[in-house]
Amino acid sequence: MKRFEFLGVLAAAFCSSASAALVPIDEAGFRKLVAGSRGKVLLIDFWATWCVPCREELPQLVKLSRRLSSRGFRLITISADEPEQQAKAELVLKQQGAPLPAYRKQAADDEKFINSIDPKWSGALPALFLFDKTGRMVRSFIGEVPMSEVEAAVTKLL
Amino acid sequence: MKRVAIFAALLATLLLGEAFGQEFKVGSTVSDFTLSDLKGNTVSFSSLRGPTTVVIFISTRCPISNSFNDRMNDIYEDYSAKGVKFVFINANANESADEVAKHAKSVGFVFPVYKDFNNVVADRFGAQSTPETYVIDHDGVIRYHGYIEDSTNPARVKRHGLKDALDAVLAGQPVATAETKAFGCTIKRVRPTS
Repeated sequence: MKRFEFLGVLAAAFCSSASAALVPIDEAGFRKLVAGSRGKVLLIDFWATWCVPCREELPQLVKLSRRLSSRGFRLITISADEPEQQAKAELVLKQQGAPLPAYRKQAADDEKFINSIDPKWSGALPALFLFDKTGRMVRSFIGEVPMSEVEAAVTKLL
Repeated sequence: MKRVAIFAALLATLLLGEAFGQEFKVGSTVSDFTLSDLKGNTVSFSSLRGPTTVVIFISTRCPISNSFNDRMNDIYEDYSAKGVKFVFINANANESADEVAKHAKSVGFVFPVYKDFNNVVADRFGAQSTPETYVIDHDGVIRYHGYIEDSTNPARVKRHGLKDALDAVLAGQPVATAETKAFGCTIKRVRPTS
């Protein structure tokens, strides 16, 4: 019996880690992601395991996503971590119950990737980018921001 | 109608710049500003600058900034020998002068660090992240703005933005890539910038 229990734990661990695996994304993938979310209000959260404020705001973003998903809100996370931190990033997302699929930047050139998202963005984290239902970027939140401000901006677009 | 649209666009640009407070950009001249040393004394940029000056915004807590600590020491030593002056600035509201002093000692910085209280100087430069660097030439003109190197992992570095810019400025050449970007930590301001 104990052996079955152990196998069960192993299977659960395998399934959850497999489901939380980060999908690599580059500039073209980002454009596709935004285009594929038309019809929904999209908030893209750029974060990293090394970014303390990003990790602090992640649970609040997840809560917001759960509360507003039925109204057409979609939260997508993109990790700016390096490949060596991928496992840690997956663990953080799993612990927070972040929506899947989740992504990790894998661009040939970080600078081109940053510029393709918003030329005014320096690459500083945390960074949130809000898109309306037509896929147009409406605004960005760079740095720590009160969640009430994010929620107000999202709700206005729903 | 076209004239109205142009005027509106110009006004919007001015207002945006005003809101952000950014004065110093690549190609513009840096006017004097003041910082505090870690004992609380006011220090002017004009007393710190040289024929070529590097301004770097750094952090005690940002892992990205910290991944460059040894490289900043190396660049400081290599280019100080060539007459370049360095101004390392901590503009983070959540990192006190005392914390900055302890951090500098613990990581073995060979250069002084100055505090920019209320991120006044960071706002004038429009600096968003740490580490973020600027190279200023003998005329006070910003010739480079961006990263030190393009990767936190020294083994993965492909471009040496700061060194390349310094070499060009010291050789009297144009800087090939005057603006660069990389992922970093936001400067923790006393007020939000966006």
